[in-house]
Amino acid sequence: MNISLRRVYAIFQKDVKDMMKNLYVSTALLMPLLLAAFYGKVYEELPLEAHFLVINLTFVMIGAYVQSALIAEEKEKNTLRGLMLSPATIPEILGGKSLVTFIVTIITIVICSMLMRYEPTHLFSIAIAMIISVLFYIALGTLIGLLSKSAVEASVIMLPMFFLFGFGTFIEMIIEKYPTLAFAKYLPNIQLLEFAKNIQAGQSMNESWLPLVVIFAWAVGMSMLTVIVFRKKEMDD
Amino acid sequence: MIEEQGGKRVETIIEVKSLKKVFGNDVALEDVSFQVKRGETFGFLGPSGSGKTTTIKILTGQLSPTSGEAYVFNRSSASFKTAHFRRNFGVLTDNSGLYDRLSIYDNLKLYSGLYGVDHQRIREVLEMVNLEKEQTKVIAKLSKGMKQRVLLARAFLHEPKLLFLDEPTSALDPANAKHIHNGLKALNERGTTIFLTTHDMYEAETLCNRIAFLHRGKIQLLDQPKSLRRQFSNANMMIELKNGRELLIPTGPQSADTVYKYMVADEIISIHTDEPTLGDIFLEVTGRELV
Repeated sequence: MNISLRRVYAIFQKDVKDMMKNLYVSTALLMPLLLAAFYGKVYEELPLEAHFLVINLTFVMIGAYVQSALIAEEKEKNTLRGLMLSPATIPEILGGKSLVTFIVTIITIVICSMLMRYEPTHLFSIAIAMIISVLFYIALGTLIGLLSKSAVEASVIMLPMFFLFGFGTFIEMIIEKYPTLAFAKYLPNIQLLEFAKNIQAGQSMNESWLPLVVIFAWAVGMSMLTVIVFRKKEMDD
Repeated sequence: MIEEQGGKRVETIIEVKSLKKVFGNDVALEDVSFQVKRGETFGFLGPSGSGKTTTIKILTGQLSPTSGEAYVFNRSSASFKTAHFRRNFGVLTDNSGLYDRLSIYDNLKLYSGLYGVDHQRIREVLEMVNLEKEQTKVIAKLSKGMKQRVLLARAFLHEPKLLFLDEPTSALDPANAKHIHNGLKALNERGTTIFLTTHDMYEAETLCNRIAFLHRGKIQLLDQPKSLRRQFSNANMMIELKNGRELLIPTGPQSADTVYKYMVADEIISIHTDEPTLGDIFLEVTGRELV
């Protein structure tokens, strides 16, 4: 499959300009940054759970919510149809549209981590886990955007996702109370926290590979589902 | 497919055979067949809901036909979705959209990047749609007519071989509609084949080499506008006299004496044939107006 970087860049460049004037994005960006600034200011030393509360919230807020709003708005204003009728392929459209969300999510996580003074013992391992996680959340946001008729509808669909993926620490507490919900510990946000705990405890990436594989499986599965839905949306039937 | 026509080899760009499209219980298209040759401006004339947009959507890969066959550039409808195929055509339909927060120039810049077109071409198309001075304006602040002109500019930005236009001047005032018509004529002269849907009879007469009347999903008539008018003409001519009277007489030799008499007496203001308009013909064939 050929991917034209020129076309990916054209979509990326358009999205950067469009994003800077988009109220949804600026509001979503502020939330994790404010929370990180608050935590950083109030607490001298934060537990790992608190760091990852903000990091997971950034993933949902920017990786998924902003992406869903961008895609849903393209659908709502019939601009996605224009891209689909151009020579741009599915990977080029989705790649171009995801690239800007990816960069903004990573930058926000770096700033939040600095504000909270989070220093992972093995930065490279945590960075890999975070990059795989972003891919999952962007795919989730794209899917929700494609299934929504408008940006407002996408926001409504995103509400349970905020709870599910943004507040993983609370889910762990629920699992402890209701063991039948134990499968929820395989959610990517909880697996990311699990991985970070292992790394912080001194394990290497080789020793703690399972959570990474689980997050990767989520990212691949969600991406495949997104491509299938995108193909269906190409037609008006 | 290439055919011999009057000693010339003419390539068929669009070929549609027994096309049918059904939405639930509604039949949108029924047994529609036609061909469009290279360099033609082909008009699909019909009232709202007659199946014009459905036809364009099938031909551009946005809808799949229920039955029948559609070929564009000799490729069947199954391959219309491929990105390579889409490079060959430009499209303007009722569901085309623009990025409201971006300027006219930035909207076109995106598409110049997607099609690999030089940025200089943006200025050329903006001139064609009479928007060269407005290029920095944000889309959200444009009138409906101006947005329509931006969409048109976008449709022919990459100088496509085939242009699908669904009611291209429906939101425009007469001056801008004329500007667009001139631009489309220039494009057609440069070799672009145009498939146009409209319910504007003047537009169809001005631009189209051949037109098809579509009513309730079926093609009722298909021919050149001139041939259709001749076919439905009542073979009369109207003579307007200086005394205010109007005479309706047959165009045959039996009227020669009458015309000669008034001409010699210098009583004639004008003589013109009493041909039906495309609207009259549509009304006669379908029993309803073209709105």
